[in-house]
Order: sequence, then C-alpha cells, then structure tokens
Amino acid sequence: MLLQQLVNGLTLGSVYALIALGYTMVYGILEMINFAHGEIYMIGSYLCIIFLGVFTGLGLTESHLLLSLCLSGILSAVTCAGIGVTMERIAYRPIRSAHRLSPLISALGVSIFLQNFVMLTQGSSDKVVPHLFSAQAVQFAAFPITPIQLSIISAAILLMAGLHLFVQKTRLGMAMRAVAQDKMMASLCGIPIDRVIMVTFIIGSALAAVAGVMVSIYYGVTHFTIGYVAGIKAFTAAVLGGIGSIPGAMLGGILLGLTESLGAAYVSSEFKDGFAFIILIAILIFRPTGLLGKRT
Amino acid sequence: MRFQKPVSIIGVILLLAVPPFLNNYYLDILTLALLYALLAVGLNVAVGLTGLLDLGYAGFYGIGAYTYAILSTRMGIPFWLGIPFGGIVAAFFGFLLGIITLRLRGDYLAIVTLGFVQIVYLTLNNWDTVTNGPNGILAIGQPSLGGFLLHQPIHFYYLALFFLTITVLVIYRLTQSQIGRALCAIREDSIAAEAMGIDTTKMKILAFSLGAGIAGVAGVFFAAKYTFVSPESFNFFESVRILTMVVLGGMGSLFGAILGAFLLTILPEMLRGLDLYRMLIFGATLVLMMIVRPVGLLGNRNAT
Amino acid sequence: MMFRALFLGFLLLFSNGCHKKAPEIVIGTAGPMTGDQSKQGGDIVNGVRLAVDEWNEKGGIGGIKIRLEVGDDQHDPKQAVSVANKMVNLGIVGMVGHFNSSASIPASSVYHSAGVPMITPGSTNPRLTDQGFKTVFRVCGRDDQQGKVAAQFAVQSFQAKRIAILHDKTTYGQGLAEEFQKAVLSFNVGAEIVSFDGITQGDKDFRSILTTLKGKNPDLFFFGGIFPEGGVLVKQAKEMGMTAPMISGDGVFDPKFIEIAGPAAEGTFLTFAPDPENIPSAKGFLQRYKAKHGNELAPYAIYAYDATNILLTALSQVGGHGMRDGKKVSEAIRNLKYDGALGRTEFDAKGDVKISPYIVWITEGGKFKEHWNPVKG
Repeated sequence: MLLQQLVNGLTLGSVYALIALGYTMVYGILEMINFAHGEIYMIGSYLCIIFLGVFTGLGLTESHLLLSLCLSGILSAVTCAGIGVTMERIAYRPIRSAHRLSPLISALGVSIFLQNFVMLTQGSSDKVVPHLFSAQAVQFAAFPITPIQLSIISAAILLMAGLHLFVQKTRLGMAMRAVAQDKMMASLCGIPIDRVIMVTFIIGSALAAVAGVMVSIYYGVTHFTIGYVAGIKAFTAAVLGGIGSIPGAMLGGILLGLTESLGAAYVSSEFKDGFAFIILIAILIFRPTGLLGKRT
Repeated sequence: MRFQKPVSIIGVILLLAVPPFLNNYYLDILTLALLYALLAVGLNVAVGLTGLLDLGYAGFYGIGAYTYAILSTRMGIPFWLGIPFGGIVAAFFGFLLGIITLRLRGDYLAIVTLGFVQIVYLTLNNWDTVTNGPNGILAIGQPSLGGFLLHQPIHFYYLALFFLTITVLVIYRLTQSQIGRALCAIREDSIAAEAMGIDTTKMKILAFSLGAGIAGVAGVFFAAKYTFVSPESFNFFESVRILTMVVLGGMGSLFGAILGAFLLTILPEMLRGLDLYRMLIFGATLVLMMIVRPVGLLGNRNAT
Repeated sequence: MMFRALFLGFLLLFSNGCHKKAPEIVIGTAGPMTGDQSKQGGDIVNGVRLAVDEWNEKGGIGGIKIRLEVGDDQHDPKQAVSVANKMVNLGIVGMVGHFNSSASIPASSVYHSAGVPMITPGSTNPRLTDQGFKTVFRVCGRDDQQGKVAAQFAVQSFQAKRIAILHDKTTYGQGLAEEFQKAVLSFNVGAEIVSFDGITQGDKDFRSILTTLKGKNPDLFFFGGIFPEGGVLVKQAKEMGMTAPMISGDGVFDPKFIEIAGPAAEGTFLTFAPDPENIPSAKGFLQRYKAKHGNELAPYAIYAYDATNILLTALSQVGGHGMRDGKKVSEAIRNLKYDGALGRTEFDAKGDVKISPYIVWITEGGKFKEHWNPVKG
C-alpha cells in the first residue's frame, strides 16, 4: 500500500512540478509572482474537454483515441500559451516598472477575472470529461500504477528534461538565463528583453496547460476553482525548490506531491491542504532560498 | 488636502443623523460598510503606510471573531470584555507573523501571509472540538450597555460608527507622529530608513500587530452582530476583498481606505442583479486600477 | 470627493426604497441561485413559483395576489443571514427556504426574531428544528432519520461487517455521517466502523484517502456529502479496484452524480424519499411541472411545491391582518393536515414531518431505481 501511496504522490507531484515551472520561470525573469498562473492550468483542463468534445463530434475519438487526446493536448497548450502572452501584454507589461505591489495586485485581478470568466461561460458546476476508458483502470501486474498515472509521470519527466536542455543548450535558453540574472545588463548586450519574456510566458503557460489536460483525464472532471488551490501549492513547490531555479521547481513539485499524499494517508486527510502551507512557511523561515535556490 | 477637515465633519454629521430614517436593510448595508471601513483602515497600516503586502488579513479578522465566539458561548464572557480579548489575541498573531516575516522581501512576505490565512481557515474548519468546524458557532452573545441589550440593526450601526471613529482618530494621530513617518520611510526605502536610524524591525512588527489588533476588534463586532461565525467568512478571498478596498481607495490614505470600503460595499449591493458579473468586474477593476492609477483614488506618497 | 460619494450613496439607497403601493401578499424563497448548486436553487424556485402561480390563477388569497421574492444565499451562512434580513425588510409573511442546512440554521434565527414562519424544502440537519423555534418547519426528512435508514439497510439488508465512513466536513455532510455512525453502532450487531475521515469539498483527488480506506478492507463505505465529490469518489474508488460499494444520502441523489461517475456509479446506494412517480397524489404536480420545465430530474421541486402550498393554505386560513402574525400562521401550519403532492403532511411539535419516509435507492443501468424499504425490507 505504501507503494500505491508513493505512486499517487508522484503523480500529484508531477502535476505540481509542471505548474511550478511556470511560476519559477516568470519569477526568475520578472521577479513577480504570477497569481494568475494557476488559472492557466485550469483553463487548460477545460480546453482539453472542449477540444475532445469537438473531436468526438467529428467522430475522431472512436477511431483514433490516442490521436484525439494528443491533439487536444497540443491545441490546449497552444491556446493557453496565447492567453499567457496576452496576459503579460495587457496586465503586466504596462506596470513592469511601477511600484512593487502593483504587478502582484494586477495578477490577483487577472486571476479573479479569469476564474469568473470561465464560471460564466462554462457553468458553475463540474465539467465532466466524456468517458472514454473503462471504469476500472488496468494495473500493471503487481506494480500498483495505472496507465494514466504512468503517462502523467513520464510526460512530466520528458517535458522537464526537455525544458532543462532547452534552457542550458540553446541560445534562447541562454538569453533567458541572462535576463533572469541581470535584466539591465542583458538588454545592454542586445538581448530582446520583451521577446524573452514572451517566450517565458509561452513555455510556462504551455506546461501548465499540459498539466491541466492530464488532470482532466486523470480525474474525469474539472471545475473553475481548481486553479486557485493548485496554483498556491505549485507556488509552494517552486519556493520549496528555490524560486528561480528550474530543477528546484521540479524537485519541489515532486516532494510536495509525495508529502501531501503520504500526509493525507498517514497523518490526517482532513488537513491535507494544510501541509503545503506549513511547509511553505517553514521553508520561508528557515531557508528562504529553497532547497536548490541561489541568491540572485 | 485642504478640504479634508470640512468633509470629515459633514461626513460624520451625515453618518450620525441619517440612520434613524433608514430601514433595517439599508442600515445593515451601512453597518457593513462601516465594518469594512474599520478593516480597511487597519489593513492600510501594514499595506498602505508600511508597504508590507499582507494577504492574510482575514486571518486576524477570523481569529478575533472566533476568540469572542468561543469565549462568549463557552464562558459567557460579555461583549465589552470580548473586544480587548479579541483584539489582543489577534494582535499577538500579528506580532508572530511580523517576527516570521522579518527578513523576508515583499513577495515572500506576501506568500507567507497568504499561507497564514489559509492555515487559519483550515484550523477553523477542522478543529471541531474548539471551533465546531464547518458548522460554525451559533448563539453568540450580543453587547449590552448598562442592562440594555443591543440587538437592533440601528444599535449596531452606531456601535460600528463608534469603533470606526475611535480607530480613525488613533490612526490619524499615528500617521502624523514620528512613528507614522517612520513607517512611510520603510515603505519607500527600507534600507535607507534603517540607515537613518529607524528600527525597521520594531516598526514592522508594530505595523502588523496594530493592524491585526484592529482586525481582531472588527471580528468581535462581526461575531456579535451576526451571532454566528463560520470558517467560510474568513478566507483568502475575504483578504483580497479588503485589500481591494485599500488599493482602490488609495494606499496609505486613511480616507481612501474608508472611501474604498464604502464604495465596495454599497455598489455590489446595488448591483445585486448583476451578481454573476460582480467578481468579474472586481478582478478587472483591480487590473485597471493598477495600470491606470496605481496609487488609488485618494492615494499619494504621503501619509494621508 | 468623499462627501460627494457618500451623498450619492445615500441618494441611491433612498431611491431604491420607493415601492408601489398596490396590495399584495409577499412571500419569499431563498437558496443557492448562483454558483455550483444553482440547479438545486432553481428547482426550488420553480416548485415555489408553480404553486404561487396556481394560487394566483384562482385569485390569490382573499382576492389579493401573491408576490414571490427570490433570494440568493450561495449556500453561504453569512449571505443567508443577509438575505433573511432583506426578506424581513421586504415584508414577507412567510419563507419557503433556505435549502442548505448551513444557510437555513443561521437564517432561521433572523426569521424567528422577526416572527416570520419558515418552511424549508431541503434542509435535513436535525439542529434546525432542535433549536426549538416555533416558527420553523421542514417538509423533508431529518438526517438522523436518513442516517438510521441507511444504517438499517447497511446492517440488516446488506449485512456489512466492516464499514468505512467519509464526509465532506460541511454541516450537512458531516452531520449525516455522524448520524449514520451513531445508528450503525446502536444496532449493536458487530458491524465495525473501520474509519471515519473527512475530505474537502472542491477537491478532486481522493486517491490517498481511498488507498488507505481500501487497505482497511471495508464491505461498504458511506459518504456524507454532495454529488460533485460523491461522483469523483466512487469513480476513483472503482478505478483503484475497490469492490466495496458506496452508500450515500440525498445530497448525492442527482443525475449529475451519474454523469460524473459514469459506469462507476452502478451499484451505489442512496437514501431518498420514495419516487414521486409512484405516488398517485404527485401525478398532477409532475405533469404540470414537466410541462413547464422539461423532464430533467428535479428532486426537490416537489418539496418546494408542497411547502409553498402549506404556507399559503395556512395564510388563507388565518386571513386578513392575522397573516402578519407569525405565531398565528405557524399555529395554523402546525394544525394542518395537508394532502398534497407528497401525500399527507403533518407536523410535530418541533416542526418536523410526522412521517418521514426514507428508502434506499440504487443506481442501475445509468438511472436511479428504488431498491429497499425499511418497512417492508
């Protein structure tokens, strides 16, 4: 049973990690907590259901299930990337140089706006994913993991590895790292700051969208409020790992997911959400830079 | 701000004289506006004056409310004793939070305060033996003045006005004093402030504690008026609501906080038909405010 | 500027207060009209409106038309109190509502102080009537009755030996779970409660708690809560290979439950009132309701309908100025032997219905079906 809980935790953690990456990247570059990031994740999960619905209408899901799923995922990611960029343009760029609190409050406003927008357009009750798989998910022999959980974990690992490579090995990645380290100097070196920031938002939003898509399929339902709680937890994960550090976000996410699962199982299910916040406060008191963080 | 004195006097006269002509529904709304004005003034101390983004303010509010609720229902503690109790307990938590966030920069501070209100909410919701969990606490005692029980909406209106007036006077004196200027200095540039000899640590903790204490008192009032408290009233969204009032009215401005509170309490009531869109407008307003006029309606760089 | 804003505010408030002066009888209804339970709220309003319209077609009460005021409490206790105050100020002579126990209980204090009779169509928490307010009634059952029926089924019919209990930490859900637990233990037949735990409303991931639950090997697990969580719970339970079926209460009794859980919903037990389709007296109501609102299942509309009729009957019995006297109207309600869509309704001293039939339903073939009756077995 412990193994099962570990698997549950890893799956949950992968989701947190994917969302956390967006937080950490944006913070690294803009030194701003994008409160609205969680809503991107939520929108991703809704879009997945919407696109799947379209494909079902076209008859695609019966014949090519895997294809429709992947297509839905990609389309959601693209759309969310667009939303992220728009968000940056409208709500954050104009106030980039203003008072410290302004971007934070603006992000709060965006978050509230997006949540309510989805509620008004999609209804306030759960949105249900059409049932495409059998009720009893197959488990692999003695190893207690379902195909969906496996997909989530592997997808997360692949994406994170890909991101890491991108940031380390490509020119654009290098530009991102430069901007994160010192925006002023980077611009003096000729790096197009605005474009780098745009790319950051694109990648972060796309990752969050993928997390949302996977979560839709995993739970079978979504709701316009899932962004809020997931956002806070993912942010905790980012801080835990060291905000601004990409490997940190990954580590933080996994750790948080494991802690939550094991905590809910062995300590108290009622207080499950509390673990995230206690960890958050503890980290910020004792090691504000996080596990893998560096002082910027 | 030359017109402040006459405006406040007219405002106070209106607030004092008009209520007997209003029915309970309007009285309720005004009382709620006064209550939120109290909260906004308190939050303004930390956020507006000192520049500490406190996202967990509703936590202190809830602590005050529940402290009185528990004392009243289990030990029969009267309202007038409940006020200092609630205020002090809440201020104590403000003190704790201040210590925890001492070394933290703006964003981290905000996150910790967010975590704080979440933990308060979760504790209220899960600690059944003490807080009765999600059911909340019923039949909380109402205030009495020398044998006369205050239970009508109009009584609570004047009670709220009383608390608000006292608090406004105190905070006003504070902003004009050395402490007030020290807080502003910290807001503008805490390193420079430290260099000028201001004990930023002490000041920050003071800001938090004072704000928390005010919230605690507001909480006690809330509990006594509704005779019922439940965890749902004290969560992050409540914090955001109060923050919006401060931001809208003008950060750092005492009158701005009151204005913001009145606007954001009365307008939504009038727009009850647009209930569905209420939060949507809320969110958009926050963004617009930040872009167009980040200092708020009445805000400026100085204390009031 | 502040002066101007305040002045404007006062003006606007005043302007809202001018009403036309035609004689009318005002009653109120309240519930979650917006938000995640808005369907339930809407069903209630539909039921109440149907009754009101029928009375008005026959000329109202004593020739005076009845007007309905609708309040939205979003199942939030604080808003419920606000709505209650507003209703009282609007001069209602009776309230059919609220819906959620967490809203009805605080609101009942307000109505009681103002002397306004209140009949709830759907609040099942015992505390509502245990408070002892003579003006508070309910036409639905109580959670202790519901819990008892569920427990009787679990222990006698299903013969479960190991039972796990989950709840959603709300007034209703936790209350129901506790009643169920009490009842099971009172049967004293060696049925063991292997766990009692809470989940959070709004949460979607219950795998951790379900894994733990599965490890305790229950024959049956009880859930006190509503359908959004109920649906996800039972779906994940089946996905994890748990064979123990779920038993729950009226909060899960909603077609959305089956939609969310899909095939996993099969074999779930639910306590609810008997099917109105099988009650002869409900035929007329069902026909008229379906004609207006379609065939979608609206379990609480019939309660709202009967509650409204009871209120209006009592009002018309008292008549004249007595209608404003909450005590008189409440007495009339209490003395009423009402025959309506739900059959015969009579109230006891506390304001609960004397006979509260709860039976156990089961999900079969994607639909709810009557399954077990505590009386007949």
